[in-house]
Amino acid sequence: MPKNSLKYAIVLVLLGVVAYNSVYFRKLDEVKASSGSTSKFDPVAYAQTFWTSRLLPATSSATDLGTLLTLLKTDKEKAIDSYSHALGIGNIRYFLVKGEGKINAISDNDITVSLLSGETIKLATEYIFGNAVRDASGLIKITEFDNTMDLNNVSTELNAILRKKVVSPFRASAKVGSTVKFVGAIELNKEHLHLEYLEVIPISVNSH
Amino acid sequence: MNSQRFIFLWFFAILLAGSCTNKSTSNQPKKVAVIVSTLNNPWFVVLAETAAAQAKELGYETKIFDSQNNTALESDHFENAIVSGFSAILLNPTDSDGSIVNAMKAKDAGIPVFCMDREVNSPQAATCQILSDNYSGCVAIGKYFVQSLRTKATDAPIKYVEILGLVGDNNTWNRSKGFHSVVDHYTNFKMVAQQSADFDRNKAMEVLESILQAHPDVNAVFCGNDAMAMGAYQALVAAGKAKDVGVFGFDGADDVMNSIRDGKIKATGLQSPQTMAKTAAQFADEYIKGKRDFAKKIPVAVELVDQENIKDYSTPKKR
Repeated sequence: MPKNSLKYAIVLVLLGVVAYNSVYFRKLDEVKASSGSTSKFDPVAYAQTFWTSRLLPATSSATDLGTLLTLLKTDKEKAIDSYSHALGIGNIRYFLVKGEGKINAISDNDITVSLLSGETIKLATEYIFGNAVRDASGLIKITEFDNTMDLNNVSTELNAILRKKVVSPFRASAKVGSTVKFVGAIELNKEHLHLEYLEVIPISVNSH
Repeated sequence: MNSQRFIFLWFFAILLAGSCTNKSTSNQPKKVAVIVSTLNNPWFVVLAETAAAQAKELGYETKIFDSQNNTALESDHFENAIVSGFSAILLNPTDSDGSIVNAMKAKDAGIPVFCMDREVNSPQAATCQILSDNYSGCVAIGKYFVQSLRTKATDAPIKYVEILGLVGDNNTWNRSKGFHSVVDHYTNFKMVAQQSADFDRNKAMEVLESILQAHPDVNAVFCGNDAMAMGAYQALVAAGKAKDVGVFGFDGADDVMNSIRDGKIKATGLQSPQTMAKTAAQFADEYIKGKRDFAKKIPVAVELVDQENIKDYSTPKKR
């Protein structure tokens, strides 16, 4: 009899342990909140971190725009393979470039700059849209994202940072005749290459 | 005697088991199925045929299945493909929700599914989804829309109409969101009407005709695809407003490319079914050869075709 009761006691304890570990209760609100927080992507925070800790440090490795333009005219394939990036596939490619020149003209939509290498380009100040800033550095990998809308939102937020931190102060201080040093992003169609209307979206600008 | 019978039965069992294995796999080429939503629309014919041709070029036997925009028929095609021993499926889904269960069936059978052009609303169902970058394409259209309408005075009021595609289709909203991500920055741009015309030319014409009754002074119309842009243009011609109102489309259909050339339509976003189809076939080949780390979704660039760069696209693309 005591043997049996010992057996029952052990079985009961075991059952208790199993039951305790296999069933638990949580408030539905907590479950919803926690599942939401793990799956929800925050494009504002991502863009801010990417801007300060990845994109700005990468500006030091930007390609010289004059050199790139020469290479694009002489060996397009090599220039595109070596210096362009894009998260998607297709003809649209983005380049991270740097340059120096003199401000020629200031309009509502852009600032015209004559580069030291001789070409004339436009620094965009009004239409800051698209994926050039997100993709030009090649630092963001498509495999990081399951959802393309997250990628679109990263572009929107990066462009918003750029408008506030770079474009507005530059537009306010730019003067015709002053010298400008910039790093920026350009978008080119590799099948239909046009280098004559080159528009650079500025990522960092110093004018004096 | 018993042991002899046992050995005989044992050998018989081994031979029986051996006869059940598929001997054809080692000699015959592997097979890739192309399951397409419809072959009634030339755009999807190009998509399916390019995918099949590319897979064939890579050494696979291919077969195109037409789902006739019917999810149940698509389900039959999947079952067929699974039973017939296809190694990969290149899918243009009939329905972004309804096709999930079909793609999952293939996945459970160990067959990878690569979506082309249209997506399924489940990251688990497909190995990779290769989709037009509708959002970014419409960002480019939105930018051109604002640039071309802000020429006179930057803050002059602009009234425009948006004609949407099928409201249940993800592409409709990705296009609309991309467009508005630019245009909504400009407070003088006022959308006076936003209505669906189901991607249909005749419906778009009817929709715009009735909108023009209430808003005869619109400056521009943005349409979610080129068929609707052509319908909208027809409505404007009938109302005698074709020269005053700019029409913007999306797709890169030949008739709209020609209309841009003639100055009738302002711009469109050129999609590339060929790029999507070829990429899907290449990815299937890579999967069969052992690659597993595919991005869940890969955007394919959409090119803005406008009044300035239409000369670059002088020869209509073969569709």
